[in-house]
Amino acid sequence: MSAWRRLHVKVRRAHGLFTSRRVTEQYTWMYGPSTLGQNLSTGKPLRNDFFKELEAQLAAMRKKAADALPGSSWSPFDINPNLPPERADIVIIGGGVMGWSIAYWLKQKERVREGVKVIVVERDLTYSQASTVLSAGGIRQQFSLPENIHLSLASADFMRNINEHLGVLNEDPVDLQFNQSGYLFLASEEVAHIMEENYSTQRQVGAKVTLLSPTQLKEKFPWINTDGVALASYGLENEGWFDPWSLLNAFRRKAMSMGVIQCCGEVTDFKYTVQMPKGLEYQMVECAIVVNAAGAFSGKLAEMLGISSNPKDTIAGTPVPVEPRKRYIYVVHCPDGPGLDTPFLIDYSGMYFRREGLGGNYITGASPKEADEPDTSNLEVDHQFFEDSVWPRLAYRVPAFEKLKVTSAWAGFYDYNTFDQNGIIGDHPVINNMYFATGFSGHGLQQSPAAGRAVAELILDGNFKTLDMRGLGFRRIMAQEPILERNIL
Amino acid sequence: MLKILIPTLLLIPTSWLAKAKWLWPTTLLHSFIITLFSLAWLKNTSETNWSTLNPYMATDPLSSPLLTLTCWLLPLMILASQNHLAQDPLVRQRIYITLLVTLQLSLIMAFAATELTMFYVMFETTLIPTLILITRWGNQMERLNAGTYFLFYTLASSLPLLITLLALQNKTGTLSLLIIQLLGPIPISPYVNIIWWTTSLLAFLVKMPLYGVHLWLPKAHVEAPIAGSMILAAVLLKLGGYGMMRMMLILSPLAKELCYPFIILALWGVLMTSSICLRQTDLKSLIAYSSVSHMGLVAAAILIQTPWGLTGALILMIAHGLTSSALFCLANTNYERTHSRTMILTRGSQMILPLMATWWLITCLANLALPPLPNLMGELIIISALLGWSWWTIIFTGAGALITATYSLYMYLMTQRGPVPNHMISMNPSHSREHLLLTLHLLPLLLLVFKPTTIWGSAY
Repeated sequence: MSAWRRLHVKVRRAHGLFTSRRVTEQYTWMYGPSTLGQNLSTGKPLRNDFFKELEAQLAAMRKKAADALPGSSWSPFDINPNLPPERADIVIIGGGVMGWSIAYWLKQKERVREGVKVIVVERDLTYSQASTVLSAGGIRQQFSLPENIHLSLASADFMRNINEHLGVLNEDPVDLQFNQSGYLFLASEEVAHIMEENYSTQRQVGAKVTLLSPTQLKEKFPWINTDGVALASYGLENEGWFDPWSLLNAFRRKAMSMGVIQCCGEVTDFKYTVQMPKGLEYQMVECAIVVNAAGAFSGKLAEMLGISSNPKDTIAGTPVPVEPRKRYIYVVHCPDGPGLDTPFLIDYSGMYFRREGLGGNYITGASPKEADEPDTSNLEVDHQFFEDSVWPRLAYRVPAFEKLKVTSAWAGFYDYNTFDQNGIIGDHPVINNMYFATGFSGHGLQQSPAAGRAVAELILDGNFKTLDMRGLGFRRIMAQEPILERNIL
Repeated sequence: MLKILIPTLLLIPTSWLAKAKWLWPTTLLHSFIITLFSLAWLKNTSETNWSTLNPYMATDPLSSPLLTLTCWLLPLMILASQNHLAQDPLVRQRIYITLLVTLQLSLIMAFAATELTMFYVMFETTLIPTLILITRWGNQMERLNAGTYFLFYTLASSLPLLITLLALQNKTGTLSLLIIQLLGPIPISPYVNIIWWTTSLLAFLVKMPLYGVHLWLPKAHVEAPIAGSMILAAVLLKLGGYGMMRMMLILSPLAKELCYPFIILALWGVLMTSSICLRQTDLKSLIAYSSVSHMGLVAAAILIQTPWGLTGALILMIAHGLTSSALFCLANTNYERTHSRTMILTRGSQMILPLMATWWLITCLANLALPPLPNLMGELIIISALLGWSWWTIIFTGAGALITATYSLYMYLMTQRGPVPNHMISMNPSHSREHLLLTLHLLPLLLLVFKPTTIWGSAY
């Protein structure tokens, strides 16, 4: 009895199969050949059609064959691919523009393919707190230190010809949106002499800067209120602003196409001088050289080397003086504001602004006083600071900005060098295989291409070749000889 | 024979029962004593060439240099591994030494075997400790790939050898080398004999390695720990050469036509792999490819089956074993200090470690076959033998010798001269252990200059 019932069920199932096939056959028969060519359904086909997807299938077969041949990197044991490799030659800590610039130049300077194995470790691939992408993106040569001027000049040259350097075959060209509108520094009576001395240094090194008197300033930029301005310094070429995210991505794309490995992880410890575990899943990376390009968090990273356990006044005990400092940037909209040729204006009172886009938006901010440094535990924006410190100075300098609306704001960290606010490029005196490229205190992004090249030369050639950056080395920190920028603010 | 085998076997309990503090010195001393005893094998006074004869094992002028080299290498391997194993737990150190000793045992039995079956079994047995060494103690992820390549290349090529040996046993009734050398040509049907010839030699050609099937070697050498690299370069490659020399006694009349493609491959491999050496960025990879290049010469010399060819092959095998092992030790001293094998990052070490530079110089000069070292003896005899076989080979061997000199000097100049990178300024100075290691590599090489007939094999 039960056997018969089972048989009955089976038949019904088979019957069901049979019926559905008949239905589809009827369908195609009834509606003729015109609808056969057109596929009216928008879902995926019911069965895999080998001939329809011939291209894809052949490509898959070719890939399988290539994997099976010797020389491919297919491995039967697929251990967690997110972990960094167990061994690398050079580990760059920090995936900001400085880290990727160093990675690119290292690969550029190796003389044979796969000469050095480079990995870049970045703990946050969304770059939510990275200084690079939160930067205002300006580039200027108006420094007082020749090293800084050289770095910015070389970087500007790099960025003007960026597709020669960072163009990847068959990919979109890099568009940095480099607005070469120049920087405009305004000096009051007390500091005008500093500006003049800086001007002669800059001209000597090769920057294209010019000095303007208040009348010339008013002629050129009628929207400026020249009260209190004794002298202005205006960059004619190679100064302006660009999109930092594009630069970062261009470096990253090119470096990865040359074989640099990107790892998402955090360096938590150093062992001796060469091994470092990272991530929740521990992975010790054995390496020959470590480059600290961690930006605002470089000081904390250097603490892991155990510097603080040494007495304070020894070479081994000198801490790396980089700490994060929070700076705010406000986006304001002012329809009657200055026009398209607005430079990046920096006032002697510490306020700055620049044009953003073509819709009457501007980016503005100011340096806070030493005493009122904002809290660096988060990236919350203090809008009161705008009301108190930025807007009055902005409105004073540019009367049109009395009527504006703050559309947005963000905060970012400077990798602030508490010692002398200039970058540290070089190797650590005691730990010989740790190199630094940090502490640029707000002008790191603009110097990143040239600084990356300097570090790569130091690592691979042993010496600086194109630009001599020995003045920016660690020595000045040990010898307690600060090289301060003679700014007018 | 037993006076070497039993102490080597008992080295295993020694490594397990020694106290932690005395583990390395004890095993080192013990293996040195074994080595001193093994030097007695080098005296071959027998008229039939076979000495220390017992039904299963014997030595003759062909195998005794290789046996002595094997025994010589064990203390050197223990000496070289001491540093990088220091931070491993004690049990793992003991396991490591046990692996080295089992490898040693199987190698001694392989070289000393009189029955081809025992030779084959020991040949396969050497794969297992080597595989464990590479995959467990290697340095990077790629070691798994390297182990797979090593295992399967050798295994796949040696299984046909098993079949051939069984067929041979069937046909001739014996597989003893003592008897086979006296048999005449073995009748096999005309087409099968080609297959038979190829299968009996394929395992050894892959082991040598011959150029077309050499892919496992760079991977295995680079990923292996120092002792693994040393034993691979010095002895395991020679196992292939030794096997070829023994097997070809049996295959005699066929060799004249069938060896052509393999000789061409071997000679072309000499040129190709030497050229690859010039483009290498990884130091160990460079040394690995140079091994392939030297072994190509050896393979070609064995295949032409002339007395000088076999003599030259044996001399070059011994000399290359010592030189290549020394080069790997030098590369390891570099690696332990800078943790990088890339040559561009480890330059200018002559300024920092001048005495090590001396060893680098002598070893690189040995690699490029500087007279009066046995490397030159071997190469010269091989080149002359090949020239006698066909004078077109001089193009390959001459160009090969030239490029060998080029890359050896390139290796020396890249590692020793040049600007000293900043990160190498505070390296650890050379340990006396490392100096001892290199002395023990180069001393036999220098002594062989004075009495090369010890390694001239049965043709002398």
